[in-house]
Amino acid sequence: MASGYLLTILIFTTMYISLALSLNILTGYAGQVSLGHAAFLGIGAYTSAVLSVRYEAPFWLAFLVAIILTGLIGTFLGLPSLRVRHDFLVLATMGINFVVVSVFKYVDFFGGAMGLVNIPAPTLFGITFRGGIPYLLLTTAYALFTLLICWYISKTWSGLAFQTIRNDEDASASLGVNPARYKIYAFGISAALAGGVGSLYAHFLGSVFPDNFVFVESIGMLSMVIFGGIGTLRGPIVGAILLRLIPELLRFIQDYRFTFYGASLVLMMLFQPMGLLGNESWVWRQITRWLRTAPQSRKEATQ
Amino acid sequence: MSQLEIRSISHWFGGLQALKDVTFDTSDEILGLIGPNGAGKTTLFNVISGFIIPTSGEVHFNGKAIHRLRADQTVRLGLARTFQIVKPFATLTVEENVLVGLGMPYYPKPAALVQIYRTPVNLEKVEQILSKVHLLDYRFAQAAKLPIGLQRRLEIARALATQPKVLLLDEPAAGLVAQEAEELATLIRNLFAEGMHIILIEHNMRFAMNLCQRIVVLAQGEIIAQGSPADIQNDAKVINAYLGQE
Amino acid sequence: MLVLQNLSNALILACTYILMAAGLTMVYGVLKVLHIAHASVYTVGAFVGVLAFSRVGNFWVALAIAMLVSGVFGVLIYRSTYFYLLNSPRTVPLIASVGMFVMFTDLLQKPFLMGAYQRAFPAGGAGLPAIKTALFSFTPKQVLILLVAIILLAIVYLILTRTKLGLSWQAASMDREMASAVGINLNQSIAANFFLGSALAGAAGVLVGVYNNSVFATMGDLPSYKAFIIIVLGGMGSLPGAILASLILAIVENFLVASIGYVLPRDSIAFLVLILMLMFRPNGLLGRE
Repeated sequence: MASGYLLTILIFTTMYISLALSLNILTGYAGQVSLGHAAFLGIGAYTSAVLSVRYEAPFWLAFLVAIILTGLIGTFLGLPSLRVRHDFLVLATMGINFVVVSVFKYVDFFGGAMGLVNIPAPTLFGITFRGGIPYLLLTTAYALFTLLICWYISKTWSGLAFQTIRNDEDASASLGVNPARYKIYAFGISAALAGGVGSLYAHFLGSVFPDNFVFVESIGMLSMVIFGGIGTLRGPIVGAILLRLIPELLRFIQDYRFTFYGASLVLMMLFQPMGLLGNESWVWRQITRWLRTAPQSRKEATQ
Repeated sequence: MSQLEIRSISHWFGGLQALKDVTFDTSDEILGLIGPNGAGKTTLFNVISGFIIPTSGEVHFNGKAIHRLRADQTVRLGLARTFQIVKPFATLTVEENVLVGLGMPYYPKPAALVQIYRTPVNLEKVEQILSKVHLLDYRFAQAAKLPIGLQRRLEIARALATQPKVLLLDEPAAGLVAQEAEELATLIRNLFAEGMHIILIEHNMRFAMNLCQRIVVLAQGEIIAQGSPADIQNDAKVINAYLGQE
Repeated sequence: MLVLQNLSNALILACTYILMAAGLTMVYGVLKVLHIAHASVYTVGAFVGVLAFSRVGNFWVALAIAMLVSGVFGVLIYRSTYFYLLNSPRTVPLIASVGMFVMFTDLLQKPFLMGAYQRAFPAGGAGLPAIKTALFSFTPKQVLILLVAIILLAIVYLILTRTKLGLSWQAASMDREMASAVGINLNQSIAANFFLGSALAGAAGVLVGVYNNSVFATMGDLPSYKAFIIIVLGGMGSLPGAILASLILAIVENFLVASIGYVLPRDSIAFLVLILMLMFRPNGLLGRE
């Protein structure tokens, strides 16, 4: 059914909006470039799957545990980031992604390469969400929740602290910010939010496989954040929407999805490194200029 | 009250000795730390403020040993510093830069994750600090876009927001024209009059001599002279150390 | 002597790692950015090599063509992208590099290029003899790898230390602005650097393709990850360090797999080593900051 396909696209898009926003906390706010975010998606997905399939836990419990456990593991996996910056950090996060996927693939408890199947659809308040519009509402609600968290954090002292370590760690330390502590916070929060998406992901697809969470997926998520405009709220949202929808709208790109992601990254870096809607981007400046002058012209028009 | 005791601080970077048995006391004054390039002045600041743990020796502040503390811990005790090469938070505004300093008491607490920073009370405090350093007009400017003179003042404003007892200024007059330097000197004197203990590293001799009450001269990692500006200006060793430079 | 045989096998493995890592180290030294797209150059080298071999039938000619094409590919990558990003903040060329890697990987898997399956590279030992001693032995293929690796490394060493070009790379890796100020044509120097580094990667691809008799689109992923690990282990930008680290990694992988078995795949070892290294000794075993 055509609308079934459309709904699936929308469901995935809203999930990726949440993922991009969560990655933005780590990479955009705190400045820690991570190429391993798919690992957190996977940890959340597998946690929820294992609890539902092996221990017959109700969805809400599996979901909550997925968030909390992924957050905890995220803070732990953030430890290698403390001593390294830039390229090395990227390498470390790639390594973490690889090791996590290997664990899923080779440890029998997680079903190995065959993954886990028969993950039940979520049941909340007596309603079972079996895909379609109900599920879209679920994922959209989570996207809004993630947006709310990101927005709120940016208003708190911790949000300010994140920005300082992104700009200059030494200066931030000289003003009372412990960069290590805040990097760990960033990893933890970012991971926890991604873990929640993981749970929704697993219960929507009904199955999880290790290869769903490989390094290339992490690149896709990072592309969305960077393409849209790193460090802003609008950036990851727009980036996720565009990078998921454009391949759907343009048939010939569909088979070249990752070529498209890769090329957009390269072109962005060459022409607009701050992203399509970043604070200094051409597009954003046009928008803000229009917003500033529009009320004037409307006033003049009515006089 | 601010009492800083530097005791036999020595520091090695690999095979290079940057500081050699540096010992002096300073309290409630404007102290100048001068010396030729590479003398170890900034290294000493890094030791005091917690960016470096010294190879040997101790630093005590108001009786408490601080040489093993991290930078974010020493600032909580009341020691704030600025940097030789300015480090503004480029993507933030002037106002936000100062707000960062204001947040010092909150960062170590988990409550930092939920407490909003942009409150009327805090903005009021920022206003006061900015007017003290005459930066109020630039309140909403992006820090990266300011000229260097203003960026230096911003660093001081930021440090002031942490309500320090000691202010360690690393070459605050570098890159300033005569008038800006004069304004800076006035600011420093005002801060001292309000009870701030100030230590400054300075390369600009006239600036240091006019401003400081006492001077410590460092050359090749060691103290070669201490005393009033008048004493220092006539000290043969000091003249030699600088002549070797020119 | 099982241990010695294991060691000699490790040596061969190390040779392939070294060629990959040497190219990456050279590029990193001058560019100061991890050239993640290096993996694609490796794969392209293998692909061109196997195509050339199927036309020409001679291993050495195929190798030369593969190295040439890889080198040119590398220069194109530099000239179209990194060239413009030399003075950007470090994350920018890094992300561009990731973007290129993703793009090339995806393209290489398309049917009009390498497709989704592997193809054979039946060059055998290129007519070389086996080496059999009482303590250890090398098959003809292993001899081939050893030979090519040694020759190429020797050439690289000579260029690095004896030619003006090599000196310009050392200067540029220490201080790009200074190097330019003393009259070094940075653009040409870096382009040549990319050419040689990429040619080495192409050679590595050919050798591995021949050794495993298999060439496929994603063959560059793991070797390149390991190359990153090796240059971290060896200290960024240090060629001797990279060589030492390659040997160590190859030996550790061989022996751990032999003793521990399949708790985790052998490739995870490298990653765990990386993570531990980055946490405790980010400057590598031999390197300087």
